[in-house]
Amino acid sequence: MTQLIIIPEKKHINKIIDHCDCILIGLKDFAIGFDDYFDLTEIEELIKSNKEIFVSLNKNIHNNEIDDLKKILIKLNKLNIKGIFYYDISIVNIRKELNLNIDLVWSQEHLTTNYATINFWQSFDVKYTYLSPDITKDEIIEIRKNTTSKLIVPIFGYLPMFVSERNIVKNYLNNFKLKDESKIFSLQKQNKKYFITDENHGTTVYANNILNGYNEYIEFKKNNIEYVTLNQFYIDVDIFIEILHIYKSNEINEEQKINELLNNNVSKHFLHTETIYKVKNNG
Amino acid sequence: MDKVELLAPAGDLERLKYACIYGADAVYIGGPMLGLRANAINFSFEDIKQGVLFAHSLNKKVYVTVNIVIHNKEIKEVLNYLKKLEECNIDAIIASDPFIVKTALEETNLEVHLSTQASTINYEACLFWKNLGVTRIVLGREVNYKDIKMIKEKVDIEIECFIHGAMCASVSGRCAMSNSITNRDANRGGCSQICRWDFDLYNEKEEKIEAEKPFTFCSKDLSMLKYIPDMIDLGITSFKIEGRMRSIYYIATIVNIYRKAIDEYLSGSYIYNEEYEKILRNCANRDAVPQFFNEIKDESCSYYNGREEISNQDFLGIIIDYNTKTKEATIEQRNYFKKTDQVEIFGPNHDIINYVMSEIKDENNEIIEVVRHPRQIVKIKIEQNVEKYDLIRIKKVDK
Repeated sequence: MTQLIIIPEKKHINKIIDHCDCILIGLKDFAIGFDDYFDLTEIEELIKSNKEIFVSLNKNIHNNEIDDLKKILIKLNKLNIKGIFYYDISIVNIRKELNLNIDLVWSQEHLTTNYATINFWQSFDVKYTYLSPDITKDEIIEIRKNTTSKLIVPIFGYLPMFVSERNIVKNYLNNFKLKDESKIFSLQKQNKKYFITDENHGTTVYANNILNGYNEYIEFKKNNIEYVTLNQFYIDVDIFIEILHIYKSNEINEEQKINELLNNNVSKHFLHTETIYKVKNNG
Repeated sequence: MDKVELLAPAGDLERLKYACIYGADAVYIGGPMLGLRANAINFSFEDIKQGVLFAHSLNKKVYVTVNIVIHNKEIKEVLNYLKKLEECNIDAIIASDPFIVKTALEETNLEVHLSTQASTINYEACLFWKNLGVTRIVLGREVNYKDIKMIKEKVDIEIECFIHGAMCASVSGRCAMSNSITNRDANRGGCSQICRWDFDLYNEKEEKIEAEKPFTFCSKDLSMLKYIPDMIDLGITSFKIEGRMRSIYYIATIVNIYRKAIDEYLSGSYIYNEEYEKILRNCANRDAVPQFFNEIKDESCSYYNGREEISNQDFLGIIIDYNTKTKEATIEQRNYFKKTDQVEIFGPNHDIINYVMSEIKDENNEIIEVVRHPRQIVKIKIEQNVEKYDLIRIKKVDK
């Protein structure tokens, strides 16, 4: 199993890259939810590191971006990257139209929840699936048993829980004629804190605590899950590297050590708890 | 000019009937499973059959939402459920999960409309779904005029767009705040509307940002009344009203107004009517703007200054019978009203009738001054012909 490291900030890349085999970065103009975005020249430089590189194009795409998207896909197709994380279905269609052979990762964060739909995308030559953080460990293992898609499971880090095309923080500040140049904000409610970023393409909100699925990681490894993601977003880079090494060690009973490094601001998210949607029985 | 479809929501059979009677060309409903209003009453298979019979008798269509994000445990239920819907003789399903879309297209004769949950906002994505066999795409709410125009130019497929109702603050399908904060899964019909909560906002130095009102994500509603001519000219097939949980009064009122606006434009007699806008505003009790259509995404689209949702008491009652000989209308009460109240009676087949409540009789033919009991049956005398299914609302007087 490979650890896929999500690197949101350029300034940390040199520090982190020596400690990992595989990274995910956001592509300039076509990704959201990263602090910094990489252009093609920078990606070409990164390729020289001989690491597996996945590139995220995870924003919703409007018509006026399609021409540029086609050009960038043609260029990415020529680079030695492992694959493209996509949200917008246009990418699947364009790849087919242009006869590109770049590998794709179905990465619609809250929609990648079952093996039948994964197999649907596989029939369109989508090789990988980035699974939703809203499903349980047992569901993930059941998916494993019912698909040959290469699976990528979020296992560590703050999880995005909201994406909007609106600039919700900037608009709020404008509404009250306030100025604040912060790159990241937080929302607080009932003693819980949620990071929120507002960039050109819109707003992203993150869960209040850090997913740490170390014990489950060991189990996923036994079940032949190909990749897990560890996201450095808003975690001190030195602590993150330490945690990365703990994950690499594969030793049992290390989960608590990680939790302590994070002041126990951790969660299992939905790995052991099913989401509910029917709060009453309507018969 | 192609026919334009006015598409209304219906939470149950009664609302389906009102939507059809008040001018909707089609209704969309939730079935017993796999719809995104898991906590609404929704239709049983028997209800669906009855609803379809009623709608088809008026030459209207019925679409059923099958638009949740499915988990492993539902996979085996999908085909059986779709077959049962097919037996109900519905006109289409509205789905977003590609597995459901594919199963319906390959294993049944159901027509498939792609739900707005798929957030389709460009022509390449539309081409993908068209090639798969989808016949209509409900575009993502983030599309603007130019997006729709280009999609129509490049893809020969029916397009459906929302024209009225509540808006998600997020991109559809990309919000799990409800999941994370309350465990209720927004993409499976359990949304607990966290976007309407207030939060304290802090900057990166951990300083609280002090403003007159706390932070909220809450979007204003959508209202496209002013842009109906543009939307018709764009070649949009279906004009969709949001709100399967809404009342018959809301549905009848909103459908009635948009029906008039669409028909007036198609007949060449359209003039933007500020009165229509007022009626829409009073009915919803929420501010409404065109949202993304005119490319304005600024602070005017959200409820940063707070909002006051007063419980709407405007809806007074339903005409359940009218005797043309005695000129007596029988009313089922829905909100308190009394003698001397100035009211409006509206319906699908006549202009608004202004009326002052005068002699009101109860079921025993006793004269009463006030009608205060829920669903109380009373009678009034009214000279102008009214009809069963007409609705009575309080007349709003401009001050």
